[in-house]
Amino acid sequence: MSIMRLKWQSAIAAIAITMACLFIPMEVHAHGVNINYTSNVEIEIIATYDSGTPMAGAQVAVYAPDDPATPWLTGICDGEGRFSFTPDTARPGIWDVQVRLAGHGGMIHIPVGGDTTTADGQGSFSHLQIGIMSACVIWGSIGTALYFSKRRKT
Amino acid sequence: MKKKFPIPVIALSILAVVLAGCTGGGGATGKLQFYANGEDFVRQGFVSKDGWSISFDHVYITLSEIAAYQTDPPYDSSSGTDIDAKTEVSLDGVYTIDLAEGGEDAPPIMVAEVSDAPVGHYNAISWQMSPASSGPAAGHPLVMIGTAEKDGQSVDFTINIDEECEYLCGEYVGDVRKGILEEGNTAELEMTFHFDHIFGDGELPQDDELNLAAVGFQPFTDGADAAGVINMTDMHLGHVGEGHCHCTCE
Repeated sequence: MSIMRLKWQSAIAAIAITMACLFIPMEVHAHGVNINYTSNVEIEIIATYDSGTPMAGAQVAVYAPDDPATPWLTGICDGEGRFSFTPDTARPGIWDVQVRLAGHGGMIHIPVGGDTTTADGQGSFSHLQIGIMSACVIWGSIGTALYFSKRRKT
Repeated sequence: MKKKFPIPVIALSILAVVLAGCTGGGGATGKLQFYANGEDFVRQGFVSKDGWSISFDHVYITLSEIAAYQTDPPYDSSSGTDIDAKTEVSLDGVYTIDLAEGGEDAPPIMVAEVSDAPVGHYNAISWQMSPASSGPAAGHPLVMIGTAEKDGQSVDFTINIDEECEYLCGEYVGDVRKGILEEGNTAELEMTFHFDHIFGDGELPQDDELNLAAVGFQPFTDGADAAGVINMTDMHLGHVGEGHCHCTCE
């Protein structure tokens, strides 16, 4: 087993995000070839205990943002506590990665793509957004009332 | 002619209708259940780091101010900050639970439930460990009663913990993901207590960090006052499954 006070070493020591593959589209006219490109982002996590000891052999479960209850991918950390995966960029949002070893574990939350809100079934607006929306609704209500009031006078 | 409906009334009426339309659909709810789990260490007993075979008859823990949260971004318990939640569900009562209740394979014990919790992902939880007001654990937040044996010696013990603790935790970490509540369904949250953090684990090396921090059982064999043996903040008793919590005791 393991170690007390496992806290993620600074929330899992490092997340190295590297652009693994980027193929530039090309046009070749002579033989009617179609060439498409894919852009993949590889994410690497490193899991350690507070002491810095790698979580070698730890179980990893990766959850996509649109299905937080079912692991999208499972695997095992290597001897240095490393684990790499390439998320589906068509599923933007917060990807959750859980790492467990011998009774202790933790979770890290990694934004992927443009939408980084959590997939929890709840709409999420910032306080600023809510304030602006409320102001618009109030102003619209008053304006509507004034409009009809003025029409009745004429 | 006097206006039948003054402008402010019309405006407020429209506003009320609009806001009702915006928020009326947010009433989806489900059932959120809170569990307490002393794990197999309590249900089946275990060997402490100093070789005492410990079995528990009762482990009374008193829990209060239990609350579950939906947080975004997810709460990081290592920060030690207060939980900033967009949705919170709480239990009003004070609950004394016997974590040793049931057989060796007994499931975790349900503390209470909220039948109309808003749907969403409850990814943080907090609670207090506070003194029981009555019953066998009256006056103590935690009471451990059992027997320890080593080398033909048997010791019946009652260990009273008087420190009150607050636990601030993130998401449950375990075999399954908990706290995801969908409309009309039931979701579970668990307060997990790792008693090997107090007594150590004889199956681990003596120099394992868990054993280095644990006090073992030997200090309790002479009926020593737990206050002189245990600093509950250092014990990190409360967890969410395998996930750690921020703990403050006094």
